[in-house]
Amino acid sequence: MTRPVPTHCPYCALQCAQTLTPAAGRIPVTVEGREFPTNRGGLCQKGWTSPEVLRAADRLTVPLLRTADGGFREAGWDEALDLVASRVATLQAESGDDAVAVFGGGGLTNEKAYALGKFARLALHTRLIDYNGRFCMSSAAAASNRSLGMDRGLAFPLSDLGGADAVLILGSNMGVTMPPFVQHLAGVRSRGGLVVVDPRQTVTAKLARDGAGIHLAPVPGSDMVVLLALLHIVLAEGLHDVAYLADRAEGLDEVRRSVAQWWPERAEAATGIPADTLREVARLLAAASPSRGGRGAYILTGRGIEQMAQGTDCVSAAINLALALGLIGRHGSGFGPVTGQGNGQGGREHGQKSDQLPGYRMITDPAARAHVAGVWGVDPDTIPGPGVPAVQLLTSLGTSGGPRALLVHGSNVVVSAPNATRVEERLRALDLLVVCDIVPSETAMLADVILPVTQWAEEEGTMTNLEGRIIRRRRAVDAPGEARSELWILRELAARLGCTALFSEDPEVMFDEMARASAGGKADYSGVTYARLDAGEELFWPVPVATPGTAAHPGTPRPFLETFPTPSGRARMIAVSHRGPADDVRPGATTYLVTGRVLQHYQSGAQTRRVEELAQAQPEAFVEMHPLLAERLGIAAGEVAILTSARGEAMAPVRLTADIRPDTVFMPFHWAGAGSANRLTNDATDPTSAMPEFKVTAVEIRATRLDEAAVREGALR
Amino acid sequence: MRIVVIGHGMVGSRFAQDAAARVPGAHVTVLGREDTAPYNRVLLSSVVAGKQDADGIALVGPDVEGVDVHQGVSAVEIDRSRRLVTASDGSVHRYDRLVLATGSAARIPQIQHVANPDGLVHGVSVLKDLADARGILEALPKARRAVVLGAGVLGLEVATGLAARGLAVTLVHHADRLMERQLGSSASQVAVDSLARLGMTVVTQSSVVRVMERRGHVSGVELANGSEILTDLLVMCAGTIPETALARRAGLPCERGVVVGEDLASPADPAVFAIGDCAQPPEGGTGLVAQGWDQARRLVDAWAGAGAAPRDDAAGTDRTNVVRVKASGLEVVTMGLSGKFEHGDRLLRAVRISDPAVGRFVEVVVHEGRLVGATVVGDKITATELQALYTRGLPVPTDPAHLIVRPIAGAAPAVRSAKDMQDDDTVCQCNTVSKGRINDAIADGCGSVEDVSRATRACTGCGDCRSLVKEMLATAASGTKVPALAGTGEA
Repeated sequence: MTRPVPTHCPYCALQCAQTLTPAAGRIPVTVEGREFPTNRGGLCQKGWTSPEVLRAADRLTVPLLRTADGGFREAGWDEALDLVASRVATLQAESGDDAVAVFGGGGLTNEKAYALGKFARLALHTRLIDYNGRFCMSSAAAASNRSLGMDRGLAFPLSDLGGADAVLILGSNMGVTMPPFVQHLAGVRSRGGLVVVDPRQTVTAKLARDGAGIHLAPVPGSDMVVLLALLHIVLAEGLHDVAYLADRAEGLDEVRRSVAQWWPERAEAATGIPADTLREVARLLAAASPSRGGRGAYILTGRGIEQMAQGTDCVSAAINLALALGLIGRHGSGFGPVTGQGNGQGGREHGQKSDQLPGYRMITDPAARAHVAGVWGVDPDTIPGPGVPAVQLLTSLGTSGGPRALLVHGSNVVVSAPNATRVEERLRALDLLVVCDIVPSETAMLADVILPVTQWAEEEGTMTNLEGRIIRRRRAVDAPGEARSELWILRELAARLGCTALFSEDPEVMFDEMARASAGGKADYSGVTYARLDAGEELFWPVPVATPGTAAHPGTPRPFLETFPTPSGRARMIAVSHRGPADDVRPGATTYLVTGRVLQHYQSGAQTRRVEELAQAQPEAFVEMHPLLAERLGIAAGEVAILTSARGEAMAPVRLTADIRPDTVFMPFHWAGAGSANRLTNDATDPTSAMPEFKVTAVEIRATRLDEAAVREGALR
Repeated sequence: MRIVVIGHGMVGSRFAQDAAARVPGAHVTVLGREDTAPYNRVLLSSVVAGKQDADGIALVGPDVEGVDVHQGVSAVEIDRSRRLVTASDGSVHRYDRLVLATGSAARIPQIQHVANPDGLVHGVSVLKDLADARGILEALPKARRAVVLGAGVLGLEVATGLAARGLAVTLVHHADRLMERQLGSSASQVAVDSLARLGMTVVTQSSVVRVMERRGHVSGVELANGSEILTDLLVMCAGTIPETALARRAGLPCERGVVVGEDLASPADPAVFAIGDCAQPPEGGTGLVAQGWDQARRLVDAWAGAGAAPRDDAAGTDRTNVVRVKASGLEVVTMGLSGKFEHGDRLLRAVRISDPAVGRFVEVVVHEGRLVGATVVGDKITATELQALYTRGLPVPTDPAHLIVRPIAGAAPAVRSAKDMQDDDTVCQCNTVSKGRINDAIADGCGSVEDVSRATRACTGCGDCRSLVKEMLATAASGTKVPALAGTGEA
């Protein structure tokens, strides 16, 4: 194997195209950016250094079993798998099928996500499966489904953005999280139409400087009011697309009444954005809209507005605005959430979600159950009913009546889940924790059994990127040691558990079955084959299978152009109201905490913290703070601050910047231990999507007068 | 629990919806005098100003689940002993709890000939409901001149709105300064200057004493000083009077409004509550919808068993008390302590910028580290930041002066010149590549952006630093005529 292998980056949902070339030396491949419509050859520092993760110093290469003294010992696969299977069987015999739960990840390939959902339902017979995508896309998915009838992420190819006159970005910092994306904003910036809504002047917000657009810095938790006020202005000034609304949408009257209470001068106090600035933005968006002769406008949402206890309604407010302007289902305009995790899109379509079956089917729908059961060759009644969403699942672990065992795949919940201290407590209360991982992550270190698995350059499969485009992941090197694909592990465990349904180590076999299981569902992959993808076809779902004798379906780059997959064929505007943060500032907790990512790290940092170049550039957690706040608190740059929320405490050195509101601090969430931002965040959830409220937390901050070295030496004890 | 709400305005309708949604077992009946769906009264001046479509101010209702709304039906009698309300259509409604949200009426000052037996003279109007707004809109096409009486918030909004429509506007006000409850003399003077720039005539310390009419339509007004002003319109914005008649007839204690305690209940009857403009709570009514909505929320919280959030902070500051004039070309916002206020025993810190030459006046008042008052004229960014701070009661910077003076920060251009950067400054953010490393690569023979990218990965992420790298290449090429490959160790 020395030929260059075309594949995609292991990290985020942009899935930048890479070429991996096998090489001699410590690192078995070299990487180059590859020309592709999304990244146009670009890679960020994470992508360039991704091969380092293949040979992380502590890469897991053999199964590890917990020993009596609390350590681990190496074991053979048979021993490890036999142990897992027998413990699972015993626990289920004692406490029922739901004694075992599964937690998946948005970074797993489509094939693994599909196999994991199938494994939970058929091999474990458990209702209890959910995944970390609940923390990522659940609010956007719920809002898209209820208004547009489908959740395809961006409902357009990314390159469409280039022609727009306006792009409104709420709560996404793609300049840092997926830098090559920024190339697609060049056109709109040159026309002065980039509007970024973020409490911080982020790298992305700075793209709007120098006449490229407008940055709005609302008070954390008030983004929804920005959207309601923008729609208020659009309607008050008659800037909406009357013909489109009459033809393609319903529910305007109720929405109009609901936004009547958010006149711009009222929104001013709630958001901290001047009424006239809101008017300027509303007019800019309207002028860019097709009904007013513009070249087109887009509204994009990110976790900043979605990770709220009112996240689903926030996204609905964004969709309402896009519908009022006549943007959705029109070439050159649109709405879309910017998916975060590598396979955040595909991962939410094929059965990892507590209430879903493959093809974005609902597990409660008898017809969906019958179809999937037919493909699986089982009686529909053997498929369990809906489970519970992630936070509820994690909170119930090891409690009386709760699951006694958990299988974790592609997730590091000890760092990435809200109220992380409690999550760790719950994991410790389990009788059995099995973690499949590539490195000893913080979650793996709590496990009873750690199973070493393959990673991106070592495996074949498919991913679905933020555009709903299905792409191929390809193998360039062999996995080290005895690391095996999760597909193999699931096959082996299923056999040991006496499950006769198909589980294959061959991803193409699993893909073909998944395609059939998805046939007729919303996320229909039935017309997709590895052969078509390998031939270079650009396939965006839905791609239904063609009837014999007809040409293959070309895929659907832009759904909604003709109609919406709702009962009426029209998009539904949904009246929503602003409730505000569940954990709002108050006496004793007077500062907002917002969290997010830095360029050099990905999610819980399990991969990137092990890459020396990235760890050097961003070695540790920090608290970003405005100098005015620091001055009031008596904290100097570099000193360690202690943050306290209703749930816990975290500490990290302070970085001063005028790029943040003085009422707000920022912490990246990539670190464990004392600097773990998620020890502070709130696990209150959205009533519709069950998304936890990561993005607004009320904290109190105090100075330690110590620099980080002193803290390390234990001066605080 | 049977809840009867009298009044279906902004506060009554909000309360009814929230109570139906959140109070367990609530049956909510609303009697609404106006025969329309509830609408946003705050926006009437925007309708008059032409900034808002009159059809677009309707609020949610009357078709709300769990709420029985009787539109165009007013309450005529409250029988507190039997807990019954009799309505104008003869219907009788039994209540366990009665909520008065009857609002207020426009005050019509004593003016000779302002009305005839049919009502107000044509061309003379108040602005209290949608019918008033529509009446003014109908009169506009033939109107060239207008007199607005009263320079409170509403008067200022109407005056600037009509001026923006091209009318010649005279604003007549009884006090020596505008918004005398909120503004001191200096702030008022800055606002007067703004109005003058908008082409308006402002007459203070005066009033309209007589309306002159011609063929049944107003043709002019006479002021207290005897001067006469020709006009086609007179809009009276002379304050409001809480609607208390029903409550008085029912024997409930009323002063300016219906007297209620901290719990919003009448001291005479624990089953009767008053919220919004008709109420007179211990801290006094402000006439602001924010206060009424806050009262509605507190009442629902209490009945729903939610932990009642304290209304005030320790300093006894009403965090809803923000007065914001909605007017183009006139930025006036006040909150809490403003104008001429008593310091009392408190140790208040006040910092002020009085800058009439550029039309700016800003004052902040701080007590125990919290913002307790502010006055802002002509500075919308500061006004906005102060509102966000005041309504949340958050701590202020050590020196309150920082609240009103912004450093010239964040003004650095996005595309800096590489010349302004140090060797360890990052040029390529996406790959953490410093200027020094790029210069080293150029010195090592990289002659194009592509060469530099290959050597350092700069420009391979978002591509935004391309121009900087180009500049560095050009500088290197035009600079010292060192051979391109010097320093590569060939020698």
